[in-house]
Amino acid sequence: MTIDDQHTNERPLVEVRNLQTAFFTEKETIRAVDNISFDLRAGDTVGIVGESGSGKSVTARSLMGLVEKPGRVLQGSSVRFNHLETVQEFSKKFSKRTVVVDSVAEQYDGSMTDLFGHESVDITPQFFGYEKPESVPLADILAAGYGDKLGLVDANDCIFITEGDTDTIQDGFVEITRLSGEPQRQMRGGRIAMVFQDPLTSLNPVYTVGNQIKEALRLHQGLKGKEATQEAARLLDAVGIPDARRRIKEYPHQFSGGMRQRAVIAMALACEPEVLICDEPTTALDVTIQAQILDLLTDLQEQTDLAIMFITHDMGVIANISDYVNVMYAGEIVETTNVERLFSQPKHPYTEGLLQSIPGAQTGDRLTTIDGNVPTPNEPATYCRFAPRCPKAFEECEHVHPTATAVSTDVEDHTVACLLYPEDMDTTAAVEHHQNKSEQTTVDTPQSSMEVNQ
Amino acid sequence: MSRWEYFLKRLLLSIPVLFLVITFLFIMLRLGPIDPVAARFGPEATGADVQRMRDRLGLDDPLWEQYLQFARDLLLFEGQSWVVQANRPVRAVIYDTAGPTLWLGFWAILLPLFIGLPLGFYAGLNPNSWGDYVASIGGIVWLAMPNFWLAVMLLAVLRQTDGGGWFGFDWYQLGPELRSITGTPNLDWYSISNVSVFDIVSFPMLTGMDWGAFAVDIKFILPPALVLGSASMAAELRIGRTAMLETINSNYVITAKAKGLKQRVIVWKHVFRNALIPLVPVITNEAFILIGGSVIVEEVFNISGLGRTFFLAVIQGDLPLAGSLLFMFTLVIIFLNILQDFLYTIIDPRVGYER
Ligand code: SF4
Repeated sequence: MTIDDQHTNERPLVEVRNLQTAFFTEKETIRAVDNISFDLRAGDTVGIVGESGSGKSVTARSLMGLVEKPGRVLQGSSVRFNHLETVQEFSKKFSKRTVVVDSVAEQYDGSMTDLFGHESVDITPQFFGYEKPESVPLADILAAGYGDKLGLVDANDCIFITEGDTDTIQDGFVEITRLSGEPQRQMRGGRIAMVFQDPLTSLNPVYTVGNQIKEALRLHQGLKGKEATQEAARLLDAVGIPDARRRIKEYPHQFSGGMRQRAVIAMALACEPEVLICDEPTTALDVTIQAQILDLLTDLQEQTDLAIMFITHDMGVIANISDYVNVMYAGEIVETTNVERLFSQPKHPYTEGLLQSIPGAQTGDRLTTIDGNVPTPNEPATYCRFAPRCPKAFEECEHVHPTATAVSTDVEDHTVACLLYPEDMDTTAAVEHHQNKSEQTTVDTPQSSMEVNQ
Repeated sequence: MSRWEYFLKRLLLSIPVLFLVITFLFIMLRLGPIDPVAARFGPEATGADVQRMRDRLGLDDPLWEQYLQFARDLLLFEGQSWVVQANRPVRAVIYDTAGPTLWLGFWAILLPLFIGLPLGFYAGLNPNSWGDYVASIGGIVWLAMPNFWLAVMLLAVLRQTDGGGWFGFDWYQLGPELRSITGTPNLDWYSISNVSVFDIVSFPMLTGMDWGAFAVDIKFILPPALVLGSASMAAELRIGRTAMLETINSNYVITAKAKGLKQRVIVWKHVFRNALIPLVPVITNEAFILIGGSVIVEEVFNISGLGRTFFLAVIQGDLPLAGSLLFMFTLVIIFLNILQDFLYTIIDPRVGYER
């Protein structure tokens, strides 16, 4: 068995694959995030856009490991953190939770086909995007959590070395969905930091702003005392807070909304993260301040090469800040492309609707909106979840689940989950294409996919 | 307005309150239905005695003079008991009876604080766990028992244990030995003498402790303190749980988590202090309840403390003593209010903040 040749520098910093996060209530199971995949790259901003209830925030929380009961990330999900330094550091600190994939492969005497035949594996090679079982890298299976029942890895293992061994790690990843305890804590802030929606409540009211920034500095950079105070003031200054030396001694209630959000961003930067997740950071702010914050983030990214994941429901903000955009609807990503294409050639009817409802982009005098609300995704998708609101819906939309497909066979870098695509197929062929694809990849025994991926 | 200006303002506000209370007490006691002379001599007093007494008590002086005299006596604690301990200065009576009450009150505050609050915080940190259910239901049951009933029941149960009994232990023999479970604690386990430094200044200092007697007094006071603190314990448990629960789900705690802070730091630094804010008034308000409760509990456990003395003073028409005690209770309450503001000012920087 061979592991596909992969090189860190070509690979994205964070790879989200088949992420599924569900909330188990007594009444129903809500698939808040239902099988989404996307990448984050250093220096790039990936926007996630959608109405409220589309699963954006749960996606962010899944990446941070902040999904609370009764929610959890399901088996099959994988979020890889491909940062070599982190892998090296973590493998030293948490050697008991580190796995060298090659040696697991050596110990395993069956073939990949046997592996997929095992009763605890309820997925097909297509789930990972491969045709044949032989071509699926073992690392993918381990990362998605299927190695535990097969006895290949411990439930605790979360650091995977794909090239080299424990002393000379050339490649590997930290599997975020398998993190818990101490490595999870060290991942938060220091590797992936997050800025939350409401700046008014995301600072602790009883400690000074400086205190809260210094706390992060001490934790992640080991700065104390005077040094920390200086650095905190420098950070506040860097995020555009005037008179920073005085303001670090003030309490959050003495800051205005925009200033508070700047302070929260400064606090996130104090952790020196590789990835910054912004969950609607500007929604609570007025328009001018919103623009300032967006500029600030762009500047910071240029200086630090941060990978930013930016969540918003506002198409205008997306146009401003992102390089790539994922449009989310009812837990699924319905369209992915770069920002220019998204605005010049939106393909998914939902994206079109979102673009039409931007105030100012209208031709008529009335604002076009998409009627209705995002449905709660409380059952496995066997149809298009947008169908009830879709102006282009046709019969098959009720029966066939659209999967992410290239817009047309010759366009890379633009996928859309709608039965009307690929463009260069006629509708019947396209529907068939989707039907085949979803039959091959969908986890067909939903019961077993409910297993915890831990 | 800064936090401390706000605090100072609250402090100054308590002075007019104090005078309002004095006036109110004067009206209640002097102009109320109790005839002080009758209270002293009983209804069969003769005319001459009555008149002499009226003169002595100044009851025929102009009202404003009486008021000033009354206010002065209260402020300086200079009145004299009429009936309960006839002709003794109020100050001496208070001095004798304050000890047991302070001792009782101290434990009645300490027990809930160190049992109710931690249990509540534990329940709030582990919501919907077994520990939470047990603590919450226990709190409700405990709260549902009125303290006069609880006092009687506790006495009955502890008496049963004398010489074994049904419960398999003997409270009298358990630990330091007790001869009786009711009565007034001795509080003679400390000795204070004047210590002089270089023969220049001398001041009183704790010079000796009788640990055995100390233990006896603690054991002695535990049952009444438990009864007196029972309502507070349950209230602190319930509100502590809610406060904790609200705080751990607040955004800044999630932010702290996202920062990668250790759970220990999150709980002790970010959660604890915020959860205390709603508890400050609960804890200080309970001290008010203690004053009322001590009247009942001291009566049931036969402790001659301030509460019981106050009770006697009221039913026997001992106006100066009752007035002074009421005035003292008022002082305590005003002090607690100031303490509450002070605690707020320390814990919550938003106090007094207006935009
Ligand atoms: S699949 Fe059908 S309903 Fe869904 S977006 Fe496409 S056209 Fe509309």
